[in-house]
Amino acid sequence: MKNRSELIALFERKATEVAEREIKGVDESTVMSALGIDSLGMLELVGTMEKELGIHIPDDQLVGLTTIKDLIELIEERAAA
Amino acid sequence: MGDSRLAEKVYRAYATFFDQAEAERRWNPYRDVPWGEINREVSDDLILVAETFCAVESYLPDYVAKGINLVRKSFGQAWFAANWAYEESKHSIALQEYLVRSGRRTEEQMFDLQDRLKELEWKLPFETARQMTIYGCFQEMATFYIYVRQEARAQTEGDGALRTIFRLNARDEIAHTHFYEDVVKLLLEEDRAGTLADIALVTRGFRMPAADLVPEYDERVAVMREAGIDRDTFLQKVYFPVLKYLGVTRRELVEAAEADRKPRTAQPYRTGEIETWRTTTLGSPRRGKT
Ligand SMILES: [Fe+2]
Ligand SMILES: [Fe+2]
Repeated sequence: MKNRSELIALFERKATEVAEREIKGVDESTVMSALGIDSLGMLELVGTMEKELGIHIPDDQLVGLTTIKDLIELIEERAAA
Repeated sequence: MGDSRLAEKVYRAYATFFDQAEAERRWNPYRDVPWGEINREVSDDLILVAETFCAVESYLPDYVAKGINLVRKSFGQAWFAANWAYEESKHSIALQEYLVRSGRRTEEQMFDLQDRLKELEWKLPFETARQMTIYGCFQEMATFYIYVRQEARAQTEGDGALRTIFRLNARDEIAHTHFYEDVVKLLLEEDRAGTLADIALVTRGFRMPAADLVPEYDERVAVMREAGIDRDTFLQKVYFPVLKYLGVTRRELVEAAEADRKPRTAQPYRTGEIETWRTTTLGSPRRGKT
């Protein structure tokens, strides 16, 4: 499993692909909606990360994510599951 | 499967929808709302909700004109659009009637609002019939959910008339959702990859109708607080349930979106009978964010 900075790097790479513009400078406190990717775009972004990491996050757990930290913790939890 | 088989199935979906509508869902905004149960003291917020959704519903001429043109070659969908327009027309009439009868707006204010609304024109958020059908699933379901929540609120505030309007509107909206979902299921059977790509496209560009047209929409939603629909609610109550009904997974959509981002060879985005679902006048489908 990747460590947190690797997960953030992966997030930035996937966010750049999905948003079709460069996204960097993300850290754990970044609020996802502030990145200018709308909520449904975020869903696609999380989906690409799940695919790359070989994990599955149940739909209901995708509700209530605010910061990158929320997402990373969820990924860590699912990877450990 | 040929084009005519698809057309037949869509027509059957429409026949089922229309039969049920005629048998179980007809209502009269003047006679079926208990106007005597208006509570003249309901909160300003609730009035703002009624007025805002009256405004959103008032773009009907644009929704109808543009929508029906897109599907004119599909008998089932074109007749659905005609019937849909009739049902939708009652939603704004009932809300407008409420605002005036409750004494919270004058007739003049309502006509002024209608005039202001007409200064702007609603445009199709997506370009093909298939994309708009998918959009219809999410939009109708979101509207259904909003009305259901407002029905509960009108009940809490003791207004039987407004409660009934929200309930009747909601009942129509969920019927519209199911028709669109049934058609999208048929389209998935016909061309799963293409339909998935369109679901991914619509997902990325989704916005509620007329959000950028209704005067002060964002301020209205901010004041109305829970009348809008936030991200999490949209996912839980609208997006995931629709995907589940369609039998589509998020993983499939991610793959479709990834394939879509890869450079494409010029030719056909969609082929064969699906072409008939696309208007001939709008050109090729828009790619990327809308
Ligand atoms: Fe409506
Ligand atoms: Fe509707």
